Order: sequence, then C-alpha cells, then structure tokens
Amino acid sequence: MPKTWRSHVLCAYAMAILAFLYLPLLILALYSFNESRINAVWSGFTFDWYLALFKNRRVLEALTNSLIVAFASTIVSTVLGTTAAIALNKYQYKYKSVINGLLYLPILIPEIVMGLSLLVLFSQAHIPLGKTSLILAHITFCVSFVVITVNARLEGMRPELEQAAMDLYATPFQTFRYVTLPLAMPGIVAGALMAFTLSIDDFIISFFVAGPNSTTLPLYIYAMVKRGISPEINALSTLLMLATIILVIIAQLLQPQHISKKEE
Amino acid sequence: MKKLLSLLIALVAFAIVGCGGGDKKSDGKGEPQVLNLFSWADNIDPAVIERFEKENNCKVNYDVFANNEELLAKIQAGGAQYDVIQPSDYMVATMLKLGMLEELNLANIPNAKNIVSNLQAPAYDPTGKHSVVYTWGMTGIVYNKKYIKEAPTSWNDLWKDEYKGRIILLNDNREVIGMALKKNGHSNNSLNPQEVEAAVKDLKQLAPNVLAFDTDTIKQKFIAEEAWIGTMWTGDASYTYKDNKDIGFVIPKEGATIWADTFAIPKGAPHKELAEKFINFMYDPKVSAQNYEYIGYNDPNEKAAEFHSEEFKNDPMLKIGRENIDKGEWLTDIGEALTMYDRYWTELKTGK
Repeated sequence: MPKTWRSHVLCAYAMAILAFLYLPLLILALYSFNESRINAVWSGFTFDWYLALFKNRRVLEALTNSLIVAFASTIVSTVLGTTAAIALNKYQYKYKSVINGLLYLPILIPEIVMGLSLLVLFSQAHIPLGKTSLILAHITFCVSFVVITVNARLEGMRPELEQAAMDLYATPFQTFRYVTLPLAMPGIVAGALMAFTLSIDDFIISFFVAGPNSTTLPLYIYAMVKRGISPEINALSTLLMLATIILVIIAQLLQPQHISKKEE
Repeated sequence: MKKLLSLLIALVAFAIVGCGGGDKKSDGKGEPQVLNLFSWADNIDPAVIERFEKENNCKVNYDVFANNEELLAKIQAGGAQYDVIQPSDYMVATMLKLGMLEELNLANIPNAKNIVSNLQAPAYDPTGKHSVVYTWGMTGIVYNKKYIKEAPTSWNDLWKDEYKGRIILLNDNREVIGMALKKNGHSNNSLNPQEVEAAVKDLKQLAPNVLAFDTDTIKQKFIAEEAWIGTMWTGDASYTYKDNKDIGFVIPKEGATIWADTFAIPKGAPHKELAEKFINFMYDPKVSAQNYEYIGYNDPNEKAAEFHSEEFKNDPMLKIGRENIDKGEWLTDIGEALTMYDRYWTELKTGK
C-alpha cells in the first residue's frame, strides 16, 4: 500500500516539474495563434502572424544571417573539431591533459566573459564587426562541443579495427577513409548538429560581436520584445523552438551510446 | 576518394563564400553603395527604406539594438562601422561628451529645417549640429475613462487612494523620480538633495498602491484593463488607444518630461555622404507623412501636416500642442547625482 502511495506522489512531483519546464513554452506557442495583437487576451485562432512573418523583410534578413552564420561555423568547427578529436585520441604527447582541458574551457567559461573577450580581441586586431567576426566567434565555442562528441564516439571504438585494416595493407589514408571516418561518422554528425543548434540559438556572444548586416534571429527577437510584444514574436520563437527541438532529437539519436548499444 | 574530395572542396567553398559575404557587402566599393543603419526594431516604415534604396541604388542594412547602453557599447568598442545611429536624447549628450558624434553638414540636410522650431536645438544638443529629432513625445498620464470619470489634470491625481492596485509607473528611475519632482514644482533634473528626497518620500507613499513598474508590457496591461491609470509615453498611448477606445491621455499642468530619439552619425562613419542623404530623405514632407503614420509617433515635420490622413491628425493621443512642448523639460546628464537617483530607486522598488 505505502508503495503505491509513494509512487503516486513521485509521479505527481515529476509531472509538476515537467509542467514547470514546458508550460511557458506551450503558452508562448499557443498565443502565436491568437487573433489579437495583445498577449493578454485570447480572441480567436489565426495563422496570420506566421504569414506576416514571412512577408517581413527584416525577419527574413535576420533568418538569412542566422543560417549563413550557423552553416559556416558548423562546417568549419566540425572539420576542426573532428581532426582535433582524432589527434587527441590517437597520439600520446606531453601536456595532453592540459590541451584537453583547454579545448573544453570554452564550454565552462561564462558566455558573457567569452563574448566580451572576443569583442576586445576583434577591436584590438582591427577586425571589423560583422558576419565575419560573428562566424569566428561561433566557431570558437562550437569546436569544443564537436571535440567532445566526436571524442566520445572514438573512445568507444576498438583499436583492433584500424590495426586489422593496416594488417591488410591499407595505407594510413585508406585506413582513415574507410575505417576510422565511417566509424566516427555518427559522432561527427551529432557534433555538427549540436554546433548548428548552438550557433542558431546563441544570443550572448552574438550580442557582443555582431556588427553591420549581421543581426541574427535571437538578436532581432530581443530587440522586438523591447518595442512591444506582438504575436509575431511568438510565431517566430515557436518556429525557432521547433527547429531546435528537431535538431536536438536527431543529435540525440546519433549519440554514440545509442548506436553502440544497437550494434552490440 | 573522389567523392570525399569533392565534398571537402564544396564545404570549403561554401565556408569561404559564407565568411566572405559579410566583407564584400560592408566594403561598398564598386558594388552598389551600402548604408549601415543601427536603430530600434521596427522604427522605420520598410516601404520608405525600400524607396530610398531604389532612388539611390544602394542597400540599407538595418541592424537593431534594444537600448541606448547597448548602442553606446557597440560604438565605443569600435570596429562596428555604422553610418546612421538613433540614440535617445540623453545618449546624444553622453556621446557628444565622449566626442563620438560627427558634426552634420546641414547643407546636405536642407529638410532638417522642416522640423518644428522648438525641437531644432534641444537641451541635449544645444547647437543642433550633431543630431536631428526623429521620434519624440512626452510622458503624461494615461487613464481608462471607464473607471476614472474625471480626467486627471495634475500628477497629484496619481496619489488618489481609490486607484490602489491599479497604477502603473514606468520602470525607469529618471522618469519616475523626475515625475515626482515635477509634481512638486521642481526640475526633473534636480541636483538638490532635499528636493529629490522629498520627491522620493512622496513616491514611497504611492508605492504600495502601484501595481507594477513596467515599460515593456505597459500597453498590454492598459488594453486588458488590468491598470486604470499610470505614466506613459505618447507613442505608446496612441498604440494602446487603437485597441481600447476608453483610453485617455493628458499632459499634467505642472509640465512633463519631453524625450526624443534622434538621427546621428558616429565618428568615422564610412558612408557619411549617403548617411546625410538618408537623413534628408527621411524629412521629405511626403516621406515623413507616410513614415510616421506607419510607426504611430508624433511627426516633428511641420511641412508634412498636409500629407497626413485625417485619422492621424485627429489622433487625440498625439495632440500635444506647442504650449505643452514649451512646458516640457528634457532629461539631461546629471553626472554624479545619478548614483543618488539609483540608490533611491532601489529603495523604492524594494519597498524600504
């Protein structure tokens, strides 16, 4: 008897936590279909705000900026992060743990410190603020996440596979191309998706290093809120949220532990 | 092997195009000219900008900031090459002090003469050579006629007990303390500690009746009739009135704070000439008529009156009247005294 009573309480508690986490997001999404331009009253269902969104040139520009920055920084950070992870995994050298630590540092550093230091760096180095500086900044923090995900995948890989390939007269490049890379691929894709999501969502660092012609979606949403919240913002946030959720789910499915379990 | 190589090349090519895109555009040589505008979100009619782009074969990059301090930080950091910025009144004063604004060549901006004369050389930019007023308005009392039968006339009316729990004040230390100073017949820039202390004492009396200190969602609260009376900017009052016709707005007899967002050119702007052309374009009577109808703020352009619709001209929220402008007082840079205001403000909001 007491067992079921306890599990009921636990269940209710878990539900309450979930509601606390997701209710605000649901309400935000709900009001994006509200006819009235005021968030306070519900007056009817409409898709108008989504339509208005796609006619709004500023929104489309912000979306384009976000996508350009996200794609560019994802590609560069995935290439850099993957090669770094492979090197870290394969070779033994001095100060390995230090270098490892340095790579993880951008994840631990408060974003605001990183944004500020990047801004100082760019202005000292006379790099004009704009898309270029934004992409450079995004690469900096995305690389760490790619290294971590790819590294996790590589660590679960048995070295015998590569050794077997070498035994069968594969050149180092062939080994890499036909054995290492395909095996690491799920980790690489997961890392790339992670980088893309982080870049699309980033506000704090972008806030510091954005310049002319590089207002991204999160920056635009923030500025719009200050001007008066319209359901257009709800619609925009809902779309951004959906895109993020889908990417995160794909990345989760590709996580090493998932795949290795299936393989075993 | 081939597949991998071509994939790599495609990736690198994409990355280069992606990175280079920003550079090419901000360079502006050979290509159609570029104007980098740094402004508030949704602050200019997009159709007006498009017309300017077409007429001058240029591209306007419209980037946004959310508050004046953000704007200041971006310009101060250098590196951000904006051509036109939109600081508010007190920020113009700060930027002038820091030598961050280019002197405007008014010969290139003949339309600036169309601006109402008493807004041409405001207190924060006494020579009127570094900024031009764009949107402006005053802070007055907004109220709902359904609940408040007798129109307020004085700031003192906010202190009436029957409005308990229905009052909203702006979430801004200078605005709120300045309002209480005005109520007592002082300047809203008072440096006199006794005057400020007395004003804060009055505000502490009012505080228990206040529903919220709110700037961002104040319009919603008045439209939904959660709030009955409070302090509001003219532009916001006009917005609120469109959704709730019971809304009334008055400038109290003691006078009120007057404020403006401006156009200015930061030092070292790469396209100063085009920037001046843009500012001049914005004050063309027909253009400004169209633009202010879109953004719903008071049009400072005297020559535009004939092009405005009846609805805009008769918007009771936007009728300020010259006598009220003359009674208005700009918030100026109060220097060291700001710490005193900040301290009182914290006390007020934490209910000490």
